Parts: sequence; C-alpha cells; structure tokens
Amino acid sequence: MATIEPVASAVEKTQDARMRQPAAESSRPRARRRPSWPPGDALSTLAFLLPMLAIFGAFSWYPIVRTVIMSLQHTNLVQPATWVGFANFSTVIHDPLFPIAVKNTAEFALLALVFGYPIPLIAAVVMSSVRRRGIYSALAFLPVVIPPVVAVLLWKTFYDASSTGVFNTVLGWIGLGPYPWLQSQQTALPSLVLESTWANAGATVIIYLAALTAVSNELYEAASVDGAGLWKKVWHVTLPQLRGVLLVTMILQIIGTAQVFLEPYLFTSGGPANATLTVLLLIYNYAFGNSLGGDYGAATALSLMLAGFLAVFSLVYLRATRSWSSA
Amino acid sequence: MKSKGRAMASIRMGATVAAVSLLAVGAVTASNAASRSSDVTTISVASLIPGSTKAATQEFAAQVAEFEKANPSIKVKSVQYQWTGPTFAAKLAAGTLPTVFTVPFTDARSLGDNGQLADLTSQVKALPYFNKFNPAVIAEGTDSKGQVVAVPTAAYAQALHYNRKLFTEAGLNPNKPPTTWAQVMADATLISQKTGAAGYAEMGADDNTAGWILTTLVYSLGGRMETGIGNKAVATLDNPQTVSALNMLKTMRWTDNSMGSDFSYGWSDINQAFAAGQVGMYVSGSDVYTNLVQASNINPSIYGVTTIPLARSKTAGVLGGGTLAAVKPSASAAEVAAAVKWIDFYYEQPLVNEAQAVRNAKTLSESKQPVGVPALPIFNKAQYALANTWIKPYINVPVNQMKPFTSGIFSQQLVPEPEASTQSVYHALDPVVEAVLTDQNANIPSLLKQANQAAQTAIKQGT
Amino acid sequence: MIAYPLGRRARRRSDPADGEGLVSQADLRRPGVRWGLGTAHTILLAGLVIIGVGPILWLAKSAITPTQDTITHPMSLFPHGAAWSNLTQAWTNVDVGRYFWNTIVIAIGSWLCQIVVATTAGFALSVLRPRYAKLITGLLLTTLFVPAIVLLVPLYVEIVHPPLVHHSFIDSYWAIWLPAGASAFNVVLMTRFFDNLPREIFEAARIDGCGPFRLFTSIVLPMSRPILGVVSVFALLASWKDFLWPLLVLTDPNKQPLSVRLPTIQAQTELGVFLAAMFISCLVPIVGFLIFQRSFLRGPGLSGAIKG
Repeated sequence: MATIEPVASAVEKTQDARMRQPAAESSRPRARRRPSWPPGDALSTLAFLLPMLAIFGAFSWYPIVRTVIMSLQHTNLVQPATWVGFANFSTVIHDPLFPIAVKNTAEFALLALVFGYPIPLIAAVVMSSVRRRGIYSALAFLPVVIPPVVAVLLWKTFYDASSTGVFNTVLGWIGLGPYPWLQSQQTALPSLVLESTWANAGATVIIYLAALTAVSNELYEAASVDGAGLWKKVWHVTLPQLRGVLLVTMILQIIGTAQVFLEPYLFTSGGPANATLTVLLLIYNYAFGNSLGGDYGAATALSLMLAGFLAVFSLVYLRATRSWSSA
Repeated sequence: MKSKGRAMASIRMGATVAAVSLLAVGAVTASNAASRSSDVTTISVASLIPGSTKAATQEFAAQVAEFEKANPSIKVKSVQYQWTGPTFAAKLAAGTLPTVFTVPFTDARSLGDNGQLADLTSQVKALPYFNKFNPAVIAEGTDSKGQVVAVPTAAYAQALHYNRKLFTEAGLNPNKPPTTWAQVMADATLISQKTGAAGYAEMGADDNTAGWILTTLVYSLGGRMETGIGNKAVATLDNPQTVSALNMLKTMRWTDNSMGSDFSYGWSDINQAFAAGQVGMYVSGSDVYTNLVQASNINPSIYGVTTIPLARSKTAGVLGGGTLAAVKPSASAAEVAAAVKWIDFYYEQPLVNEAQAVRNAKTLSESKQPVGVPALPIFNKAQYALANTWIKPYINVPVNQMKPFTSGIFSQQLVPEPEASTQSVYHALDPVVEAVLTDQNANIPSLLKQANQAAQTAIKQGT
Repeated sequence: MIAYPLGRRARRRSDPADGEGLVSQADLRRPGVRWGLGTAHTILLAGLVIIGVGPILWLAKSAITPTQDTITHPMSLFPHGAAWSNLTQAWTNVDVGRYFWNTIVIAIGSWLCQIVVATTAGFALSVLRPRYAKLITGLLLTTLFVPAIVLLVPLYVEIVHPPLVHHSFIDSYWAIWLPAGASAFNVVLMTRFFDNLPREIFEAARIDGCGPFRLFTSIVLPMSRPILGVVSVFALLASWKDFLWPLLVLTDPNKQPLSVRLPTIQAQTELGVFLAAMFISCLVPIVGFLIFQRSFLRGPGLSGAIKG
C-alpha cells in the first residue's frame, strides 16, 4: 500500500541488521482485530506504564488516601497523629468562618459566570465573522500569557483606592468618583472577579473560536436557503452546535472558580474583614495560618468536603445536561 | 527465537531505563544530604529580611566572617528570614527554618512546650551574663518546665512614629508631637487636609498586625485583652477600652477622613508608605527605623518618633514585646553548642562587651547601617545605659529627632502582650479593625463578641 | 495524506472568505448587516486593544517612569522624563534574572516529566493494551475528577516527610517536577490521540519485527507532533500559573520562581523598580507568545483536542 512503504522504509533505516530478517512465528496470519504482542512483551508494557504508575501512585493515589486518613486524625506533624473520627469535620462546620467562606466562594463563582461566560462567547461569535481573525485572537489571548502573579500585582496597583490610583484617575476623567475597590467589603470580591475574568477570558475565547470554526458550512447554507437572517442563524445553528463545548466550559469554569486561591491570597489575604475569604484560602489558613503549627486535620476535612461537593455537583450537572448536549 | 530476542532487547532496555532512573534519584538524594566533616560544625542562621539592601547584606557577611575567624570549627550559612505569623508555621512544619532563627515573645513559650524548640538551658546558663537578664524578659524564653528554649535578643515598646516634614507642611511643630489621642486626631486631620497624605495610618492586614496595633491602642487607654494565664485565661476582647479605641478609629476614618485610602497595611507595607511620605503618623515598634533604612531608604530628616499617648488611667500602659533567638529541635548537640555561640556573638555580646559593641557599631556604621536605634533593655537599665555610652561615637541615627521617645519611654508603664494564644487573639481582632475601617456602619459590639468567642476558643485549645 | 485536487478548498471549516459561513453573501448584501457587523468589529477590536493590551502598555510605560510620577500621575506620559535606572535596578538589586531562570528551569522540568508520563502511559494503554488497561484507565479517570486541593496537604506532608527516603524534598525542584507529571488530563489526551492513529502502521511495523520500544520512538512519537504540541503548551501554561505549590515547597529564596518571589519583596522595593521587575518577567512569555501564536492558535492539534 502506498502509504505504508515510506513508513516501513523509515523504520528500516533506523533498525540494525538483526531486525531486517523476517520475523518467525509471529508473522503467521492472525485475526487482525487486536494487535497481540508476543507474551514476553508484558514486561515492556509494564516498563512503559512504570513512569505513570510511579508518578501517579506517589503523587496522586497515595495522597488521596492520605487525605481521607488525615481528615480523621489530629495531626500537627510534630507529635504522632491520633484518631479523632469526625471531629475535624465538626470543627470545620462549626467554624464561624466556614459559612462565610462558602458564601464568598459561591459569590465568586456566580459573578465569574455572569461576567466571564457570555462575554467570551459574544466576542468569539463576532470574531468568527471576521476575515483576518489572527490579530483578534492574539489580542484576546495576550492577558492569558501574562504570569498570573504579575497580573494580580499589576491590578493591585490599578486598584489603588486613592484618587490618584490608575482606575480612579481614568474614571475621574468621566466624572465617576474614586472607588474603594479592594478597601471595601462590598467592592472587594467583584474587583477580584474582574481581574480574574481579564486574565482568563482569552483562553475561553480561543476555545469557542476553535469550536465555532468547526461548525460545518452546510448548516449555515441550509439556514440561509430557508431565509434565516444573521440573528436566526446564530440562535438556531451556532449555539446549538456549540452546546457541547458551552456545557463543558461552564462546568470547568465553575469547578475552577470554586478553587480560587491566588486572587484572594495576593490581593487581600481574605480581607477586608473576611469579605474575600474563599474555601481554598480557609484550607490554607487551617494548614499554614497559625504560627504555632497548623491543623492539618481540619484542612484535609475541608478539602474532602469541597471535593465531595464538586463531585456531586458534576454528577448532577452531567445528568441534567445529558439530554441537552449534542452527541 | 527472533521474538524472544526482541523481548530480551526490550527487557534490557527497560532494565537500563529503570536502573538509570534509580541512580538519578539516588544521586539527587545524596547531593541533598548535608555534608559535614567531623571537626567542622555547620549551622545556618537567620540573617536579614528578604529584599534588604546590598550594603546591609555585606555588613552581615562581615560579621559572619569575624565570627568564623574567632571560631574556626564553626561554619555559618546565612539565610534570609522574616518572622510573620502565616509563613512561620509552614517553615516550622517543613523543617526549613535555619538552625538559629528568631521568634517574637508571643510564641516562644508555646513552641517550647510543644517540643518545637531545642533545649538550650545548659549552654545559656553557662553564659557569664545570664543572671543579668531582666527576669520578665528571660521568662519569655523559658517554657513551663523551666527549660530555657530561647534567648532574648531585643525588646521594644510601641511608639508613635511621625513624619516631621509633613508636620511642618501642615503648620505643626515637629518638635512638639502630640501627647494625647485627641491631639493625634486633630493633628491627623490637619495633615490630611493640608498635605493630602494620610494623617494617621493604622495597620489593617490580616496577618495579625491589625490586632496587634489595636491591642496597643487598647492598652494605652487602660484596657486588657485577657485575664488569667494559660488555658484557663479568659478573653476580654470586648472591654470598654476596645470599644473606645474602635470608635476613635471610626471617627478618624469616616468623620475626619484623616486616614488616607489604604486600610490593608501590614508591618512592611506601612513602613514603606511612611518612608515614601504617604503617612503622617502611625504606631509600630520602636525599632522600625532599621527597616525604614534598610528596606525603604528613608530620608533621615523626615523621621520623628514619640511615645504613645497614654490615657490618664492607672492601667494605661505601653505594649511591649521583643524577639528571642531559638534553635531548631533537630539540631545535634554540636550544632546546639555552635548555635548558642552564634547567638552570644551576634545578639548578646554587643550589649554586654565593650570591645564587641564597638566593633559591631563600627562595622554597621561603615556600611551605612543604622547604629543607635531606640531599644528597650533586655538586661537591666544600667547595663543598657552603659552599652549606649560604648557606641556613642558611632551613633548615626538622628537622636535629637528621637528624643520625644527616648526621654519619655522609661516613665511609661510597660505592659507585656496578652499571655495566652497571643497571635490568635490578634488574629481574632484583625477582621474587627478591617470592618471598622471599611464599613461605616460596622456593628462594633457584635464584631467584638464574635472576636471574643474566637479568641476564647483558641485559648482553650492552646493554639 | 489524501491529496486534494488542485483548486479545491477543503470545505470542512467555515471560512468567511468563502462567504458561506455564519455570514453569507446574502447577509452581506444588506446594508444593515454590513454596518452592524462593521461596528461590532470595530468595537471588538477597540475593546480588545484597550482591555487586552492596555494594562501591559501601562506596565511598560511605568517600568521606566520615576516612582513619584507613577504614584501622583499614573496616566501621564513621562512628565519628568524616563527613569531607565528602574530596569537596571530591577535586574541587579531585585535580581530578576535569577528568579526568571528558576521559573524556566521549573517549567522545563515539569514539561519533561509530563511528556514522559503522558506519552509512555498513553502508548501502553492505547497501543500495547494490556489486559488490565481498563483498571488503570478507571483509576486515571477518578483522579480526573478529584480537584487539586484535595492533594495539597497530604502532598505537602509527603514532601516534608517522604515515606521511604528519610530526607525532606523541600527546596528541591524534584518536589515540583515529579508531582507535575500526575496529570490525568494529559494521559487521556494522549490515549485518545493514539487511539486515532491508523492501526495498519503498527501492524506493518510489528510484521517487520519492530518491538514496542522501536515502535514508540520511531513511529508513534514522530506522528504525535500535534498532540505533543498541545500537551506542551498546556504543561508550560500550567507551570507558569503555578503559585501555591512552589510557594509552599520552595522556601529558599534562591530557588524560588518569579511568581513566588515577587510578592515577597514588594514591601522592600520601591514601586518604579518593582514595576520594572514585573515588566521584565512578562517579556519572555509575551515575546514567545507573539512568535508562536500562529502555530498554537490555528494549529490542528487544538481543534482535535477540543473535538475530542
């Protein structure tokens, strides 16, 4: 076959003399369903799987088991651990900061969805109708490329609450008064969401754009033939075709923002007055906040609670949207 | 046969890969292991705050060289270090603290009781000046079993720092700083109106510094945050003086508008803002001038410091604190001995030995580091006065500008920080301060009630 | 590999150049649509420039502006001249170069580990197909659904007190490189890609006596360039964004990457120099992006990954 020969010859070039001899019994015709390698290669299969098994075993599966164990223990890493059953979960639930953290995290996720979900979609749809969209995609993706810490520190400068802060100066040009941004409990969380959207929306735009360009032209042509205008085409062709991607990005965004840590930590350390305290920041504070030693039991208990919630949420979400997403 | 040859080649290759990786891991582990020959002990010591100037770093290196010359069997590695509530815990857990590190008065005893500091009793008691330590100060480094786990290196009292240049610009006399809180408020209003800078700034960061400064204010009005000691202490965060202090902040913030627009300052940030001329007055430890010079390159002529105004009450006092040097619990006996020698050389000798004090002062002043920053005695007052005469020729800080503090501090009542779960008490107060400064309608009584509960829980658990 | 007859474009992608995508020729003939689209494009472009590039331009400008000017008049253009000394100070005093190098070393190590783990595992699961592949895939998928926070504390404890080796891995780059490889997402991407490779090639190679290692290095890897590109970009971006883990694990300032170091020294560095340091740390990613954006953003690998 035309396509195999070049490849085979390439293989031949890299093989040594021994391999050039035709293989013996394994060349007998067999059922072509499943390539079955000679049994001796079970060892090489294992060799191939070794990196993954070692890495995942050490840094993924073992820590998961440890999390469950540590959440049922009282540990401070100096004295030996003691089993305390569900006491850690109880501590977390009764901590007055827990409902605050949950509320803030939910608010962050919701605001991020409101700001960061429709805007990239609209931008991507507009972009897909542009001839030379290279410059558009590059501009949209640029903020994603900036190291996140730099982005946060830069926006922290922008958010200076004095009248000579960057944003306050610019808004002052159109007569809008100086805002407290990070210095007020009402505006701190939205300020964080704003920066987070700026830094991340570009990636979503690119994903939507790629999905949009995959929508086949025949559908649009058919719609045009049926007399559909631009809006109708967007509503009846574009969005339905994008359903799968839209639903996936929504759940991914929710899961991502539920674990937000960088923005609250660097912008406000959870302040002012715990207005930007998120669940992940609370976990961090449990583990590393107390100068006399951390409460790792409470930290792991809260991690498990968050993971459990996200798992249940994902299942409910997938089930609910199964009927809506296209095959 | 051929396939077996295939398999053998594959197995051989797989085995080679595995062997190489194991070797690599082994090499990494071996290279990470500390190298220590039999007669040289290597210790790592806390040096300067990260980001310190090159001159300060060089000066420290000069001191290290001097110590190594006098102790050829000890090698010293400097590690940049700054104690902050949140970062210390991580380092402690990870075991990445240097052999010799510093902790504030607030934590040493608890850390010692939890077995997280090495026992230094025998070496410290052998020091010739051990009995000269101020008993209150050495008690901060002694755990409940009577073991010395940390050596006092410095003590400070809270002070009111002010910008003389902004005072002048506002029409105030920089040589007559405020002596009552009412005057502070009035001066702050004038400064913010005339110069646009924050007249009075208060730390509002979530890393326990907000609670620390609030406690200072409360002490100066006569209140206390706790009664009793240890796990049986009772939290009294919601005492009337705390309410007064918070109301005072509320007035300055919302009525007088004299606190500027940044309410999340931490210890380093507020120093930086002050040195940049953005803050008229603020409360912090009496020793911050060093940081102002080393980190923020302050113009010395703008610096002024005075005592904290005290209310006319028998319990009104100035919050005092200090720093101790401790040693990692995992240090070997040789390392502990070397560590105590370093502590003695670097922290104590300049206070008790004239020759060393002069050498130390000379090195500092040659690298343009501040000499003569106001401090509180960790030995008795006579020793402190004596040590100051030794270094007098090298003092390069503006002493006249510091006179309001140095002449007034010794007549003020020095009050130690809350004894039980100090950092947790401060942490419970952080959101209260932040709420008052960012929300005009903050409900002070309810906030204090929550803070009190949080503090009481921490006290009971000993965290 | 299928050659198109000359002069005929592949019709799979909707290309407005054909006028047959979302916006048809009929639409463009209506002036309302033309105007509306034109306005939308202009607004979008202006918005992207101001919002996307604006902050970075401000950073560039402020990096060479004296601190006082940045504080008092942040939006004015060099009222008192430029301060190039900010850049030199950032390079020497703040030592941006060293932290930048650390960031690169960390990124390369993480990338390598991810590539090794993902390609070998994907190859084994997809091509070699051992009998227990289903079990491994199942375990992989469970980790896919476990958010990273769950691993944070025990992973930290494991680095501090590793079970077999009695030596902490704190302040060692291995503590960042190795856990980075545990990305189920990468393995799934690779496995899917390999699943889509034509099986006939493997058959032919096996007939020719090719063993699994040769198959891997000489046939599969060269064919995987698109997906390797996608995984590499994801790996580099993830390493770039990583903050909490290096913050916890690297306590020695000399080993820290930029992301961990910059916030620590903010209070000790004057604003102008600090902004200059931030700008320098942006340069390489921006320049790298501008150079490679064509191949990444338009590449076939990305659409393949998304469709999958």
